[in-house]
Amino acid sequence: MVDRLERLTDLVLVLLRDQRPKTLREIASEVPGYPAQEGEARRQAFERDKRTLRDGGIEVTATPIDGPEQVGYVIRPEDYYLPDLDLAPDEQAALNLAVAGVHLGDPSGRDALWRLGLPASAGARTVAELPALPALPVLHGALRGRATVRFDYRGETRRVDPALLRFHGGWWYLVGYDLDRAAPRTFRVDRMDGDVAAAAPGSAVLPDGFDPDAALPDVPWRIGEGAPVTVAVHVDAALAGLVLDEVGAAALAGRGEDGSVVLHLEVTNTAALRSWLFELGDHAEVLGPEEVRAEVVAWLEAVAGVPATPGAPA
Amino acid sequence: MTTRADAGSRLLRLLAVLTWLARQGRAPVSELSERFGLEPDELIADLELAACCGLPPYSPDQLMEIIIDDQEVVADLGTELGRSRRLTAAEGFALAASARAILAVPGADPDGALHRAVGKLEAVLGGRGLLRVDLDDPAHLAVIRDASEGGRQLELHYYSASSDRESTRIVDPVSVRLIEGHWYLDGYCHNAAGMRRFRVDRVSAARLTGEPACHHGDEAERQRTEEETQSSEAFVPGPEATVAHLAVDGEAVWITEALLNSSSEPLSDGRTGVTLAVASTVWFGRLLLRLGPHAEVLDPPELAETGRHAARQLLARYRPAATP
Repeated sequence: MVDRLERLTDLVLVLLRDQRPKTLREIASEVPGYPAQEGEARRQAFERDKRTLRDGGIEVTATPIDGPEQVGYVIRPEDYYLPDLDLAPDEQAALNLAVAGVHLGDPSGRDALWRLGLPASAGARTVAELPALPALPVLHGALRGRATVRFDYRGETRRVDPALLRFHGGWWYLVGYDLDRAAPRTFRVDRMDGDVAAAAPGSAVLPDGFDPDAALPDVPWRIGEGAPVTVAVHVDAALAGLVLDEVGAAALAGRGEDGSVVLHLEVTNTAALRSWLFELGDHAEVLGPEEVRAEVVAWLEAVAGVPATPGAPA
Repeated sequence: MTTRADAGSRLLRLLAVLTWLARQGRAPVSELSERFGLEPDELIADLELAACCGLPPYSPDQLMEIIIDDQEVVADLGTELGRSRRLTAAEGFALAASARAILAVPGADPDGALHRAVGKLEAVLGGRGLLRVDLDDPAHLAVIRDASEGGRQLELHYYSASSDRESTRIVDPVSVRLIEGHWYLDGYCHNAAGMRRFRVDRVSAARLTGEPACHHGDEAERQRTEEETQSSEAFVPGPEATVAHLAVDGEAVWITEALLNSSSEPLSDGRTGVTLAVASTVWFGRLLLRLGPHAEVLDPPELAETGRHAARQLLARYRPAATP
């Protein structure tokens, strides 16, 4: 009995070394370990091996050939080998430092360096930690291959032509064109439920002039699908300077004599605004409009366990 | 019986070992075992199997030439096996994301070697302009990073969310890192007489004191600090930190991703149980405000009051007359 690992190894060598497409019959005669008899068992064993190789990133290509079997199989060198990147020594060093300096939660970066033939650099300092999510390589691959992606998000299945993968404010976002909503949309990658499926390469076609930069605003309360509303927020003197640094001077609508400020923020996601606001504790307060202020008060009352304000909107 | 996933990952690992051997010619078993994360006997078993692989008719001259003894592997595999295999999706992403992240660090050279390397990488991977990393650029980041690199002592005006106070601190910087989208300075705080973590965007003024940082440059100390603070959030949980247990529903489950120093488990009622260290009730109160009605403090009872207290305090701003 031939070990499956041995069969797979021989299969790779046979399909790669000799660049002539081979029929299943030829493969079975050259690679030890397939069922001796032609038929369904042999076909299934081969299909299973092909899947295993594809899962590992090794693509077996089927091509039409002359003869009774009509189909031949080959691993194309361009599908197997990495093209030469032709990196200069300083570029190699810079790439090394980058991989050592960014903590992505798994060893893929170091594996990649090794594969490029670059030694990993030891002792470099971590500069940034970015969250690693299983969907990220799939989305990145779909972007590179211009493939439509499908995933579950807030209880709905979305079909999106991807335009940009962007790390912003501590989260990974997918920016793209939502096919069912026929509009640009931004999705938090960590909120995608389950697996992300990518359609065939080339299936995604972004509308002319699609601008992924415009689709992802800089502040969390602009990332949402609600109608924009201008919210006035009062920040007391203790945090006024830090908050102004964060939101930008354009939001400044007034200064108090005590050093406090009033900001006007364009908001499409009041839940995100609320979360940001509560991080400031009792240094910040929504002044208006009344419905947003009432929403904040109702939320606080629920946490405080006190009866709702009489006359407040439900 | 070997499962499909097992055979597949063994194959990829074996191909990686063979590529390495094809380039090196020979390597100690211990080195290969360490580099590829394999037990020596696993490694030897897979290599012995590979020595039976090759091309038809599988005569000795068509098999892979691999000689294994207890100490060393010697191989003559030809140039083809020595060529790099294509990057996997995960590897391609990791390289591109790392490079893009370093290029996004404020002050990075936009036309330097890394920029050129990324250009070549993206040309080969086919991913130009498809991945972007934005990193915060708080007002005092540059002076703090320079001080950390150069081993200079800092004086900071710092707003602490855990004590809700601004104070002046003398800090010997040890490292500056971006975590969860925020820049943090880890350093020895002379006022607290201990290692502390500071959020750089809460620094309202920073200047060099002119003194060298006496706790800087000690590699062992730096590594110890990194380990100690590795899994902590906006504070270094001291001995006074309390362990809290929360139950959160689907609307608040983001907390398990947002807090590095938490762990989570499914609860029998469908909610998610979250365990986290609480070093400051001010900080914890604000966290509970953000979670709102979607979180419940299970334990300890004295912390259950924290959220209600924070909410009442903030409500007082909204309806002063109605608050007792």
